[in-house]
Amino acid sequence: MIVGEQKPFDEIWDMVKGFKRVLVFGCNTCVAICHAGGSKEAEILASMIRIKAAEEQVEMEVKHAGIERHCEPEFFEPLMEEVKTYDLVLSTACGVGVNFLSERIGNIPVYPGINTEFFGAVPQAGVFTELCAGCGNCILHLTGGICPVARCSKSLMNGPCGGTNKGKCEISQEVDCGWFLIVERMKQLGTLEKLYEIQPPRNWACGTHGGPRRVVLEHIKDLEDENVKKES
Amino acid sequence: MDKLAETATPEPRSSIEKPREIPEGWEPNILAFACHYCAFAAADLAGVMRLSYPSNVKVIRLPCTGKLDHIYVLRAFERGVDGVFAAG
Ligand code: SF4
Ligand code: SF4
Repeated sequence: MIVGEQKPFDEIWDMVKGFKRVLVFGCNTCVAICHAGGSKEAEILASMIRIKAAEEQVEMEVKHAGIERHCEPEFFEPLMEEVKTYDLVLSTACGVGVNFLSERIGNIPVYPGINTEFFGAVPQAGVFTELCAGCGNCILHLTGGICPVARCSKSLMNGPCGGTNKGKCEISQEVDCGWFLIVERMKQLGTLEKLYEIQPPRNWACGTHGGPRRVVLEHIKDLEDENVKKES
Repeated sequence: MDKLAETATPEPRSSIEKPREIPEGWEPNILAFACHYCAFAAADLAGVMRLSYPSNVKVIRLPCTGKLDHIYVLRAFERGVDGVFAAG
């Protein structure tokens, strides 16, 4: 899931204070699970903005709404007409949602209410950890299922580096050394000898260094295109 | 520092309301959220015992104080309540 955190309120206020009609628009999937931007958080944020506006004597109408997902067009349909009546949409979806809505909403600006951080797991309620960086060329079979791209602070392919310190990374005592975890896990699996093989430099073009990525499933896309043609 | 960098690390500011002069005779408007099973029952008992409490406190019964949501508190403040009291 995508993990994010709500922006500091003062930053949000600076973004919205010049607008007359504001919709705080939540997304009820990933960002709701991390308590950053679901309908509930959108409602709370809308209330906080109204209180601040009253305090600053700024005339402003602030409403809230939420849909299940901001990353697929179908979910917007029932609300889109209403959404277009606002001067500003403060989206509490992840950055994907903000981009996606921006492209569809016409002349209305869509601003981000949260900082989108990573995709992660939920090891316990209230804790979110980054385990994969979406590099586009997975090598977990070589590293005991523990990702060196996301979990080694230097994304080393042949680790650990000299900074590993009793299981911790040299950047902080709070951060586990990803390569320590890999070695321990591979010992447990009895596959430690795999690490004698030196990994060549990676081609980072499969990741974000190769420009924006796109996956197209031709068989599904063609079918959709056909259906759209038939309908029109 | 350019504009983008500025927005990325906003200066810490405080949104806390500044203390104001309290007019004479002013009474706060207080909302009490009370759990049906304990605090509300206690308020009921107080009533039965003919004990009085200040009229600027309004009691709202909840099935449990676990039902008290952030938004209830915020809505109360938005509507001019000065203080919220949760008992359960
Ligand atoms: S190797 Fe790449 S795809 Fe695999 S877990 Fe790590 S970042 Fe994700
Ligand atoms: S100490 Fe470990 S996690 Fe940190 S940079 Fe070195 S190998 Fe990577």
